[in-house]
Amino acid sequence: MSAVVEASHLTRRFGDTTAVDDISFSVQKNTIHGLLGRNGAGKTTLMQLLTGQDFATRGDIRVFGENPVENSGVLKNVCFIKESQRYPDDFKPRHVFTSAPWFFPNWDAAFADRLIADFRLPLNRRIKKLSRGQLSAIGVIVGLASRAPLTFFDEPYLGLDAVARQIFYDRLLEDYGDHPRTVILSTHLIDEVSNLLEHVLVIDEGRLLIDDDAETLRGSATTVVGTRQGVDAFVADREVLHRDGIGGLASVTVGRLSPQDRARASEMGLELSPVSLQQLVVRLTGGNQTETALEQSA
Amino acid sequence: MSTVTRTEPTEPMADGHDAGSRILSVVRLHLVNRYSVFAVPWMIMGGIFVVNVTIWWIIFASVTDEADRADARDGIAYSGALFYIFVYMLVLGIQAVAYTFPFALGFSVTRRDFWLGSALTFVALSAVYSAGLTILAAIEVATDGWGLGGTMFASYYFGGADASWIERFGLYFATYLFFYFVGAAIATIYQRWRNNGMLALFGTLGLVLIAGIALVSFTNSWPAVGAWFDSNGPSGVIAWSLVPTVVAAVTGYFILRRATPKN
Repeated sequence: MSAVVEASHLTRRFGDTTAVDDISFSVQKNTIHGLLGRNGAGKTTLMQLLTGQDFATRGDIRVFGENPVENSGVLKNVCFIKESQRYPDDFKPRHVFTSAPWFFPNWDAAFADRLIADFRLPLNRRIKKLSRGQLSAIGVIVGLASRAPLTFFDEPYLGLDAVARQIFYDRLLEDYGDHPRTVILSTHLIDEVSNLLEHVLVIDEGRLLIDDDAETLRGSATTVVGTRQGVDAFVADREVLHRDGIGGLASVTVGRLSPQDRARASEMGLELSPVSLQQLVVRLTGGNQTETALEQSA
Repeated sequence: MSTVTRTEPTEPMADGHDAGSRILSVVRLHLVNRYSVFAVPWMIMGGIFVVNVTIWWIIFASVTDEADRADARDGIAYSGALFYIFVYMLVLGIQAVAYTFPFALGFSVTRRDFWLGSALTFVALSAVYSAGLTILAAIEVATDGWGLGGTMFASYYFGGADASWIERFGLYFATYLFFYFVGAAIATIYQRWRNNGMLALFGTLGLVLIAGIALVSFTNSWPAVGAWFDSNGPSGVIAWSLVPTVVAAVTGYFILRRATPKN
């Protein structure tokens, strides 16, 4: 395994706001990464830095071993699809798909045609007049059919309906199986993509909170449900990530549990359920109190 | 027969072999919508031409006296009808940076390749359009103003009726280049500094203009300024426009080098 992306102490300031704050991580070749976080957390800025569209205030970036800024040798192996992508005013989708192969050496026209049919995208309508979902479909098709060795999707499916999103996930996995590549996917629909992700990066307020295997993360927190007394007794000496309760019932989220813990919980008549990636991210980035709690437990 | 499922990892391509081809790809990208780039300008020109022909016809149908007709012909020789087509090119130059630049960056083009490809596009389009105008001017002169004594293409500003084709071509060419590059350079300021950049640019231009007027007025140099325009003639002034054109081409590049497209 080799690193496709390496960032060390990456920082980007705009005036007195720090959009990306001293982030270091690396991305292994041929994996699907999730880049998760709230609006304004710094996800888009981070991806703009990695694709040479923005300039780091401090720190170092290596993409395929080189600095990506103004480096056409690196960039032609990179495809960056963003929700806010602008298109020339007079363009129709067919202009986008005609010109894409000139820039992406691995472009697969047959695959693009199939995706165009899947998404029912009209090719001859002005892009300005397309719906939000159709606009997103253009980006998704370019991102998939370009088969760039490193592909970024930044909120790629704003306005896409559930069927179209499922098509995106299916085609991505299918094509990823045939043509392994490195994908970095930023999204708010975490539950929908959690099965897709092999590795997860969570950022909040410009800082990297989680850089872990998706598999490891899935077992990293558990919700304990039962009577208030039983739950309180069970979690007494543990870090509590989150607490809910109605009447005599309580639902408390705690960190990783050992098999002995699990056995004890079932003896006490408590129910255990795994915390989804989405809930984990919500709890991590939802507020200061829970955030500090997890930092201590981590 | 068995179907083999092939697994082809998408390996990064080797570097270097296509540095020039990405610049050419940018040229192709600018020209991909042929309707906007080729059809619309000629349609605008055709529309202006029809309006002008109608006006000439009205003038020469209502003016019958020979001396008055000669006066009218002299006046028409100062036609500014072509100005509109150059304004359209200014808009194309602005749009190249305002819309195509963010799009090209989304297609993983470097700013350097984008600017060089755009410059090449501007030069090529200027050459094609100048050739077209030169041919139309030659027809205009040969047919004695489309049979009506009118002037649109061989106007006074582009050398008049007596200019050689090469002189006319050069003047059209320089004018096209000026509008493309100035439009593109203004748009780079917007890409880099947004509204503040626009305010600073036009504020500075206003101040420089006022300072220039003040300087010329206080030193009583207006006659010298008039003499400069007089001695250079329209052709000389257009030739001098190559200076701001080159300045726009070079500064535009350096401004864009550090620009990040925003929504």
